[in-house]
Amino acid sequence: MTFRCDDARPLIPSYLDGELSEAQAAPLRKHLLDCQPCRASAQGEKNLKRWFVPTEEVAVPAGFAARVARRAFAGDPGSAEFDDTLVPASPPEQAETGKLLTFVLRATAVAAVFLVLLSVGIGRLRLPDQNTISATNAEEVSLEQALDELERLNEDQASDDQGAGRGPEDADGR
Amino acid sequence: MEPAFEDADLVQETLQGNQASFQLLVERYQGRMFALVRHYTRNPVEIEDVVQDTFLKAYHRLSSFQHNSSFYTWLYRIAVNTVLDAMKRRGRSPVQSVEDPELVGGAPEPQQAFAPDAGVEREEIARVTHEVLEELPEIFRTVLVLREFEDRPYQEIADILGISIGTVESRLFRARAKFRDKLTTLYPEFGQPE
Repeated sequence: MTFRCDDARPLIPSYLDGELSEAQAAPLRKHLLDCQPCRASAQGEKNLKRWFVPTEEVAVPAGFAARVARRAFAGDPGSAEFDDTLVPASPPEQAETGKLLTFVLRATAVAAVFLVLLSVGIGRLRLPDQNTISATNAEEVSLEQALDELERLNEDQASDDQGAGRGPEDADGR
Repeated sequence: MEPAFEDADLVQETLQGNQASFQLLVERYQGRMFALVRHYTRNPVEIEDVVQDTFLKAYHRLSSFQHNSSFYTWLYRIAVNTVLDAMKRRGRSPVQSVEDPELVGGAPEPQQAFAPDAGVEREEIARVTHEVLEELPEIFRTVLVLREFEDRPYQEIADILGISIGTVESRLFRARAKFRDKLTTLYPEFGQPE
């Protein structure tokens, strides 16, 4: 694969930064050997880098680490005006993961609320209330209906007894 | 050689209340944090304040450290935020303009960069570079500092700044062009274009 200058130029900074794979770097190297203008461009980039000279070691004040650790454990939170918005909290990939996680958490919360409501609803259907006690729970019967039923049964029993000639007054033969 | 204690172990012990472990973490990274912040201010008191703030914030957010990136990268992110915020509060950040410097003006015309003369002292080069960087919008300065001084790979810069690698590449391209432009404008006497 041969490079044109338009293809090669944008890759030169990354090449000098050591960020190209060998598969990308090899054809670029070949192009630079053959192309004087691109070589000059690469030289310009290298010249620029020479302005960024390593600086001398910075003297850290004595006892700095101990002092900071002591303040941290004493509850000093640092400057309160810290603005976290200058740099996003997460890299884009993590932000995507965060969005997915948020969606999953919200969906889970909605499902949980639905299940709670459903279970409450089922509980209300199944539980007997205070005024009705039934062995079968099949139907609600009011107290008045129960008394009517009881009276009817008593009347039926009384008429059966009369029909058989065994009234209470006849029980002793009178 | 592996460090006596891994960062993850020290983080865990710090979370369990071990102050000495946190002190070890601070000792491990304090030099690099001081060096990073010095690219933004030469005032020793300000540097110490910002680095101290960085570690205090790191401590108070330690439970949120997810180990998705290295502790160092995570700490770097806090440091960059802290120093940019400090500069903004002190009114020294030209990046907070209405317009996004990445979007206005189009791509700068490429210029030939010239290297510093061989006779120029290292300290003088550092002084000139620092002054040119101070003229750049903060997003360009930060990406140059992380790449050229701190030698961070693109992926790590992307993680620290919360941007994609493609954005790191394009931002670096523009930042270098801006740097060349300012350098040739402010200090033409340091060399002749090749």
